[in-house]
Amino acid sequence: MRNLYYFTKKELFESWRTSRLLILLIIFLIFGLMNPLMAKMTPEIIKMTLNEALAKTIPEPTSLDSWTQFYKNLTQIGLIVLALMFSGTVSNEVSKGTLINLVTKGLRRWSIIVGKIISLILQWSFCLLVCFLVTWGYTAYYFPDNKSPYLFQAVFPLWLFGLLLMSIILFSSTIARNNYEGLLLTGGVTVLLVMLNIFDKVKHYNPISLVSQNLNFLQNASAFKEYAPAMILSTILFLITLLLSILIFNRKKL
Amino acid sequence: MNILELKQVSKSFGAKKVLNKLNLTVPTGSIFGFVGENGAGKTTTMKIILGLEEKSNGEIFIKGKPVHFGDNQTNHLTGYLPDVPEFYNYMSSQEYLKFCGEITGLSKAQLRQKIPEILSLVGLTNDKKKIKGYSRGMKQRLGIAQALLNDPELLICDEPTSALDPSGRNDFLKMLATLKGRTTILFSTHILSDVERICDYVGILDQGELVVSGRLNELKEHYAKDQIEIEFSGEAELIHFTKELQNLMDQKIINNYSFDSQKNRFVLTYTQEYEVVAQGLFQLFERNQLYPRSIKKIDPSLESIFLEVIQ
Repeated sequence: MRNLYYFTKKELFESWRTSRLLILLIIFLIFGLMNPLMAKMTPEIIKMTLNEALAKTIPEPTSLDSWTQFYKNLTQIGLIVLALMFSGTVSNEVSKGTLINLVTKGLRRWSIIVGKIISLILQWSFCLLVCFLVTWGYTAYYFPDNKSPYLFQAVFPLWLFGLLLMSIILFSSTIARNNYEGLLLTGGVTVLLVMLNIFDKVKHYNPISLVSQNLNFLQNASAFKEYAPAMILSTILFLITLLLSILIFNRKKL
Repeated sequence: MNILELKQVSKSFGAKKVLNKLNLTVPTGSIFGFVGENGAGKTTTMKIILGLEEKSNGEIFIKGKPVHFGDNQTNHLTGYLPDVPEFYNYMSSQEYLKFCGEITGLSKAQLRQKIPEILSLVGLTNDKKKIKGYSRGMKQRLGIAQALLNDPELLICDEPTSALDPSGRNDFLKMLATLKGRTTILFSTHILSDVERICDYVGILDQGELVVSGRLNELKEHYAKDQIEIEFSGEAELIHFTKELQNLMDQKIINNYSFDSQKNRFVLTYTQEYEVVAQGLFQLFERNQLYPRSIKKIDPSLESIFLEVIQ
């Protein structure tokens, strides 16, 4: 357990020293600032580009528009940025040979995988929290309405899906030879989940619903409960991919 | 007492057999030169010893403890220096050694004392310079520093000098020689002069099999032939000397000879005392007015043993 702590510390230190964490923080901070701002400015932009009569037909922006921007930006760009940043987390170390010295010093292989997932989860949670708090603050300031009552119920599924995505990134990187292969595998799994949503019956079980139903969760308390199976399945899949990553990495040639 | 024992170890990559029932023992306290041509299986053997690669068959014991793939129970006994050690370039040597020490289980107080000590031993300055800016030689030094950090009982070095310049190689070998008595060293290389310089035991690996193993001086005694090398400049002298060689063989002064026509060089093999052979040769030169360009007594070398056993 002591080595797990040291390896996780090294992972976080690496993210800081290589400016990866700083880049992520800036991107998510920009998202946080942009979400309410874009919602506020959109009618003004339309007014300037189209005629005023048409602009008058557009309803006044609400907090819901701000949160729409939040979920759109995070699920469409934020998660892709994370996948791009972390796709080589294991494969790069294996191909460079940086883990050889550590394993021959007694570092258990499972600590490498568990340390990496802890670091990924912490970074994802931190970025999401920053973006969420900034969006929340500015949304409350610009749009003091009651149209977005269930903030936590809406953001929790996104965080949970992020966890699953981190474990898929880790798993892909463990079996891949380089970060491009890892990225391709992660993309492939995500596309598969999106395609599964074509079938209405699996919607409540499909983890991808956790990032496509957030506005529904935001407005209806009952929707959160309806998608509980997807959350349970995401947690199970997270644990399975993590376990598989450990088992595969235990047999991996370093 | 042997610190390392390999019993009937085999390894195949698909249909290709890299190690074939390899038996190897490394005596405690020795500097063991593990010699072989490129692709002979040296790196694979070392990686199997460290549990980094899976063996197909056989058993490995470090200080009596079995080695298993993927399980690093024996790694606290070993230090490993790969041929091209890789580090985290964003760290300084100090930070890297601290991280390695923490993994090894050294306390903060031990690390405070050991890091400057070991950096000084390998000739690196204890500063905040990032590893990114290190030369190949400096990385090799840092590699040995990390390998020695936990005071390993067995230090495994995989071709540590092959990529260094002559000066770096010289410094590295000097440093490795100073470790004798402190740890047992298994040192793989294809540079035979490096082995002759610092090793007391040698094992020669050829096509996945250990063809010879033992004390270097004993191997020299056992395998090496007594030889004299003679070079001539003129064609006439060559012909004349060739005719006289049969007489030397008849008189049993020499056993046989070989001739390199490109260099006009004879290599005579003998079993008599050197003085007897030299006397016979000089008398022959005087009698026939022959003036060789050079005469050299060839001392038994690892190279000659190597060439003989891998034939």
